[in-house]
Amino acid sequence: MRNEWAETVSESDFAAQASAANRRIQVSLTGTADLTVKAQLDHFLREVHSEAQRCSAEEVTVDFRQLEFMNSSCLKSFVWWISTAQGQPGDSKYRIVFVSSPTVCWQRRSLNALACLANEIISIQA
Amino acid sequence: MQESPTLSFGLQIQPHARMVSIVRRFVEESFEKIVGDPEAVFRVSLAVHELLENAAKYAVGDQTGLQVHFETNGSAVRIKLTNQTTPEHIERLRTCISEIQTAEEPFVLYQNMMRRTFGIQKESGLGLARIRAEGELDLSLEIDGTMVTIVASCLSARGTPT
Repeated sequence: MRNEWAETVSESDFAAQASAANRRIQVSLTGTADLTVKAQLDHFLREVHSEAQRCSAEEVTVDFRQLEFMNSSCLKSFVWWISTAQGQPGDSKYRIVFVSSPTVCWQRRSLNALACLANEIISIQA
Repeated sequence: MQESPTLSFGLQIQPHARMVSIVRRFVEESFEKIVGDPEAVFRVSLAVHELLENAAKYAVGDQTGLQVHFETNGSAVRIKLTNQTTPEHIERLRTCISEIQTAEEPFVLYQNMMRRTFGIQKESGLGLARIRAEGELDLSLEIDGTMVTIVASCLSARGTPT
C-alpha cells in the first residue's frame, strides 16, 4: 500500500521534508534548527506523528546528516514527539530511527541523549 | 616551558534570535582554523549558541557582551555572556545554575529536565543543562544589579578538556 502524503518546511536556513510509503515515513532535515524555526519544527513533527498514526506506520526514519546544528529549544520539540510516540498504545506504537553523521559532534551527543529517553522505540544509525 | 597560545576575543551583539547562529558559525569557523580537536570546537560553539539564545530570549536592552577565551591546546576554555535582564529572570537563573552546579550526574539532570520541560514554552534551563552535560563545561553566575554574566568554563590539568 502506498500513499502520497508529504510535509515540507522551507526556510532560509532550515528545511525539513517528510514522505510516507508502505507504512514507513522518511524525514530529512537540513541546515540549522534554532530559535527562528522552533514553531515550524513543532508543527512539522505534529504532522509527522499524525501521519504515522493515520497510516499505522511501523517506522519513522529521521536523517540528521545534513543538519548542521540543533538548539535546545528544537531538541524539546523532539522530546515532545518522542514522549508522544512512546505513550501510544501497543498497536499504535512505531519505531523511530535516527540517521546521524559520525563526524558531526553535536549529533552523537544530542541524539544519544534523545534516544536514552525511549530506548525501546529509538535506534541510532551512524 | 612555553605557554600554550591563546585565542581571546569579545563581541558586542544585539540579542536577537537571527544573530545567534551567525555568531556561532563565526566562532566555530575561527576556532576550526587553529584548534585541531573538533570536540573542543563543538563544546565552545555549543556554549556560545545556547548562551546567546538565552540572551535573545531574556535580555533587556539592546546589547549583549560575549567574551571567549581559549587556550589552543584545549587546556582551558572560558565563555562569558553579559547582559541586562529582569530580577525575575535573575532569580530563575540563580535557581537553575545552582541545580546544575550541585547535580552529581549532569547527564541525568539533563535527561530529567528534558522530560519535565518539553511541554513548557517559558524558560526551562535546558540549554544551560545541555552546556553542562554535552559541552562538559562548568557554569557559574555573576550578578551586578540587573547585569548578569553567565560563565561556562573548564580547566584541565591534562591539557585536554575533560
